[in-house]
Amino acid sequence: MVKKVLIVDDEPHLRLLYETELRRAGFETMAAANAEQGLEYVDSMRPDLVVLDIRMPGMDGVECLQRILDRDNTIPVVLNTAYSSYRDNFMTWAADAYVTKSSDVGELVQTVRELLHAEPVSQ
Amino acid sequence: MRTPQWFRRVVTVILAGGQGERLYPLTRDRSKPSVPFGGVYRIIDFTLSNCVNSGLKRIFVLTQYKSYSLDKHLQKGWNIFNYEADEFLYRIPPQRRVGLKWYEGTADAIFQNIYLLERTKPELVMILSGDHIYKMDYNRMLDFHIEKKAGLTVSVAVVPREGAHEFGIIEVDADWRIVGFAEKPANPRPIPGDSGHCLVNMGVYCFDTQELVRGVCQDARLPESHHDFGRDIIPAMVGQGNVYAYPFRDPGTGAPEYWRDIGTLDSYYAASMDLVSRQPAFNLYDREWPYRTWQAPVPPAKSVHGFTPDGSLAGMIANSIVGGGTIISGGRVEGSLLGRNVRVNSYSRVTDSIVFDDVVIGRYAELHRTIVDKDVVIPEGMVIGRDPAKDRHLFKVTDDGLVVVPKSIRFKD
Repeated sequence: MVKKVLIVDDEPHLRLLYETELRRAGFETMAAANAEQGLEYVDSMRPDLVVLDIRMPGMDGVECLQRILDRDNTIPVVLNTAYSSYRDNFMTWAADAYVTKSSDVGELVQTVRELLHAEPVSQ
Repeated sequence: MRTPQWFRRVVTVILAGGQGERLYPLTRDRSKPSVPFGGVYRIIDFTLSNCVNSGLKRIFVLTQYKSYSLDKHLQKGWNIFNYEADEFLYRIPPQRRVGLKWYEGTADAIFQNIYLLERTKPELVMILSGDHIYKMDYNRMLDFHIEKKAGLTVSVAVVPREGAHEFGIIEVDADWRIVGFAEKPANPRPIPGDSGHCLVNMGVYCFDTQELVRGVCQDARLPESHHDFGRDIIPAMVGQGNVYAYPFRDPGTGAPEYWRDIGTLDSYYAASMDLVSRQPAFNLYDREWPYRTWQAPVPPAKSVHGFTPDGSLAGMIANSIVGGGTIISGGRVEGSLLGRNVRVNSYSRVTDSIVFDDVVIGRYAELHRTIVDKDVVIPEGMVIGRDPAKDRHLFKVTDDGLVVVPKSIRFKD
């Protein structure tokens, strides 16, 4: 079964980049432009994993994380952020992984792979 | 002595959401920490007094069920904190910040309130229970935690092996590092070298904040978890090697200290009776360690001597605790705890019983091994506690034969 990854990010070019790279890595993808839409997709499409931006207009990624866990605390969530201060927010500690945003999407793809296969991937 | 400055590193969280179903009907209109105890106190006063006497004055009280009575008590009796000096007592009902659920367990209560720790940024978090009767200087436990460089320290009581199966049993190595944990095992393991006693989890924890946050966040993601410190968090952390047991013993003699978890009506009764013996097992009268409560503006207790028809003295009090405003007006009270504004009328007898505030005991009435909740008039001549079969028609009677008269019931004349 192909695993479904939901990307929640307000920046269109990043959504496109992540979708492209994750599809290339063999995942089915869907993308939401904000947290509210992301939650709708969690409800309607039952993704196997969520890649979540923290700083977004409207509901931020931390609030969105809480609401995802409230719906289903078994969905793995990867927080994807350009800022390192997110660790000051204790709620982010409930995420499964954190990836710092960079032009190299390799780390994100690797993290998604590890979480979905639960097996080490060769470096 | 630690300075107030030092204590800014510590935040205390008191879990006071206990529904206390096994204390029903005393918990019909109030949560367990708010159940009256010892004549004038509420159960939570003991933990709160321990905090204040220990210097811990940054306190969150997490409430949940039927919190009106507890809220009122904390507002009236515990408004003693200096908020300008960064002391506080905040009552926190479920905020539903994290989800739309009530607290699912003790660890979930912390997880749902992780925002509070984020805002106050303590180094250490003391997690206490609002339904225990004990006297504890938490500084000794903090010293132990710091000396051991522990991530989590669990306070453990030393209890006789029989009866220990009701608790979480802790196993330690020679350095008091926790190496095993069993929740309510059928056959509890004794302390090595002391086959008659076990170490039980008191539900009193000292956490490094980072360890606590990591622990409850990881636990929140486990679908099979009960989200409970005793059943889930401690067993998950034991393998880390930085979890220690602090033995709750007299530092001078090494004897086990008094600690009671008020779980059932019978344990509530037994702990109450521990206060009224001649040499009480639990001493309320230590002026170095005052137990604070809401002091109602009531006059001192009073007795009025009456005489029985044969001329002997009827009004008397022995081995009892009597709250303010109570008048023993020609009745006999022995081995009992009376709250405030109780009236014990002529020729009545109250033995081995607990009577809450605002109760009138009618003439010739008799109470034996009976708990009477607030605001009840016991009619003239009524006898309770002598005939369990008869009492069962009207009241809750426990396996030990204790009778409970619920709050505000009205008897027909």
